[in-house]
Amino acid sequence: MPAPHFEQLLRRLQAGVATLEGPELRYGFVNEQMQALVGTNAEGRTLAEQPGLLPAALLEVLPKVFAAGTPYAARACACGSAADSPNVRHFDLVVDPYDGEAGQPAGLLLLAVDVSEQEAARQRAHELALTTRQLDARLRVLTETAPLFTYTMSPQGEVTYVSPQWYRFTGQPDTADLTAIWPLLVHPDDRLRVLFESETARRTGTGWNYEYRLRRYDGQYRWMLSRALPEVHPPDQPVAWHGALTEVHLQRELSEARRRGEAELRFLADSIPELVWTTSAEGLVEYYNHYTKSYSGLTTEELGPTGWVGLLYPEEQAAAARRWVQSVASGEDFEGEYRLRRADGVYRWHTIRARRLNDGSGPRWFGAASDVEEQHRLRQVLQTQYDELARAHHNLDTFVYAASHDLRQPTHNLRGLFEELRRSVRFTDPEQALMLRMVDTALTHLDSTLADLTATVQTQRQQQEPVEILDLALGLEEILLGLRPQIVHQGASVQIDVQEAPGLLYSRANFRSVVHNLVSNALKFAHPLRPPQVLLRNYLTDDGQPVLEVRDNGLGMRIDDPHNPAFRLFARQHTQVEGTGVGLYLVQRIVTSQGGHIEVDSTPGIGTTFRVFWAAPLGMRE
Amino acid sequence: MKHIVYMSRAVRPMTDPDLQELLDQSRHDNVRQGITGILFYSHGNIAQLFEGPAEQVDPLFDRICRDGRHSHVRKLVDAPIEARSFPSWSMAFHPLEPSGFAALEGFLLPHQLPPLPSSLTIADALLVQLVQLAVFGPDPTQPFQHRHADPPGALDA
Ligand SMILES: Cc1cc2nc3c(=O)[nH]c(=O)nc-3n(C[C@H](O)[C@H](O)[C@H](O)COP(=O)(O)O)c2cc1C
Repeated sequence: MPAPHFEQLLRRLQAGVATLEGPELRYGFVNEQMQALVGTNAEGRTLAEQPGLLPAALLEVLPKVFAAGTPYAARACACGSAADSPNVRHFDLVVDPYDGEAGQPAGLLLLAVDVSEQEAARQRAHELALTTRQLDARLRVLTETAPLFTYTMSPQGEVTYVSPQWYRFTGQPDTADLTAIWPLLVHPDDRLRVLFESETARRTGTGWNYEYRLRRYDGQYRWMLSRALPEVHPPDQPVAWHGALTEVHLQRELSEARRRGEAELRFLADSIPELVWTTSAEGLVEYYNHYTKSYSGLTTEELGPTGWVGLLYPEEQAAAARRWVQSVASGEDFEGEYRLRRADGVYRWHTIRARRLNDGSGPRWFGAASDVEEQHRLRQVLQTQYDELARAHHNLDTFVYAASHDLRQPTHNLRGLFEELRRSVRFTDPEQALMLRMVDTALTHLDSTLADLTATVQTQRQQQEPVEILDLALGLEEILLGLRPQIVHQGASVQIDVQEAPGLLYSRANFRSVVHNLVSNALKFAHPLRPPQVLLRNYLTDDGQPVLEVRDNGLGMRIDDPHNPAFRLFARQHTQVEGTGVGLYLVQRIVTSQGGHIEVDSTPGIGTTFRVFWAAPLGMRE
Repeated sequence: MKHIVYMSRAVRPMTDPDLQELLDQSRHDNVRQGITGILFYSHGNIAQLFEGPAEQVDPLFDRICRDGRHSHVRKLVDAPIEARSFPSWSMAFHPLEPSGFAALEGFLLPHQLPPLPSSLTIADALLVQLVQLAVFGPDPTQPFQHRHADPPGALDA
């Protein structure tokens, strides 16, 4: 038995202690910790009577240990009801036989150390190892199937791992010496750069990010993006660089092409002597070509995203700015003529055009301004010349008008004097009588030519006459009133029919001239055997075009060319019938000057019909 | 005196309270620092013009650049000016809940923006109009993204 003070110690020990005495293994001393395992009332009872929470395996072993006299130890034995229940505890169990005074086996010393915590930790570690292994497997699948290659490089630059995709891509065998071979697979143009960058990064302990061409199994070089980061466990130096390689060939080619396109565009734009710029989708200028800068004497920064508007003539800036905002909002082309200030302060006329185009990287505006100063100047010269011509023309008209008008009076006087002479002087010679008639005819002719000249000039003026809505019934009556003497004299009947189209938008004076000429012609070329009948009818064609028809039952005439009767008619009339050319010529001029035209039907001996199409067909009007 | 114009994108769409907070904070700071100008916001698009003494404007732009609420800050103009063009600091956007904003000082609906003052050069006025167009779209009376969320006429309330 232990001495009392030892007993105190043993009872408090942070391990279970018990003695099992004699071959029947009866509990002798049981300390507090052990009581938790075998119960508080164990002392004096046998092991068989009171097994407590001791595991069955131990119960079997203990008698054998007693018999054999050799110590026994078991680690992390689960003690408790069910081995897997949560309150199961684990103990390291040590059994030591001890002898009695006579050296015979006397009993067993049982020592139980609670290792539940350690056991739980071990369990956790085990589980962790399992999940790690699973994760590892998953990571492996990922790294080996993902479309990127992974690799690891040591601080000395040895390649210690590449994922299988790398072998598949490069066509290298598994046995390849990675460290030696990989730089050889890099495109010669990229090799030094890549080696340098990777070495620099390893020396400074940073990651890297670069692109290079890697030779594929088929000998083709493909662009790859290589990125790596160091694995660091501070305060130590990095132990390795882990990285990934991604094929970026297509992206690279695309952006290369775009860059090339862009560069070509810029080169072109910079070499032409026009102002060229491009803007973002928002209409903000991103690029001005060289010429713009040299023309304006400003830098891209000074011009800024909207600075072009400041180059315009000050009065034109606001309108151009509005127009530009409108184009950007709607996508419509921008176009206009503006004066642009040159570096020396001189403004030159330009045609500015901008159009929205989509070049694959989103919409952009492309603008250009071409110098049209020369054309502008030429146009101004032409305009001046035209104005001068018009003035000269007008002056000439005025002169002819005045002259013809002024000449009529002396002609009248001449005729009066001539009449007077005829009355007071007797002419006996028949030759003289003939000469008298000839002088008379010549005078009449002179008079009517002067009258026609006056009328011609007048119509030329009337082309600019104001138009108004004419009441045709009234207008025609007025004209007929003027012709009344002839009508009465010839016993003519004139009918008016304007029911279908009673109004006409035309100049009053022009209308008068046209109708007056046509009706007096109809009367003039009346058939000798019947009194003239004239029908005036204003109507609308199917497409709404107003037409005046003047139909007579007079002499009629032959019309050779049905396709262009009016023109033929006038040509012939000029040569055949004296004194009528100017009249029809006037009609023709007036009508065509207003955009209309004239058609004529005629049958010799039956009559003639003129049709005046007052205006151009609707579709052809401006 | 100088002014700066930039455009940027909100990192994520700003809510009414986000915008109100920005308005309140900026208003407070800008008054103290003599900054005036205008900010446009719609559907993540941001554009801002601000003006004031160079020694205030430049550091403010640095702070704004570093602000994590937006990114892709693109400076369009950074130039000296003769005089201010904006009498105060204001913001224009389409709130989802307009009632709370009606009474808020410094807040404008996009179509209520006053005409640009003639103290701006035409080039600068054009720039402001273009960024306004870029932020609000062609019809500033209509919020072009939250249109369906608002009952018709709610904005006029
Ligand atoms: C779009 C936007 C506009 C801003 N405008 C202003 C402004 O006008 N004035 C201002 O003081 N802060 C403005 N800020 C806030 C600044 O970025 C910053 O948060 C503020 O100046 C406080 O800076 P601090 O936290 O470094 O002191 C703006 C922020 C954002 C995202």
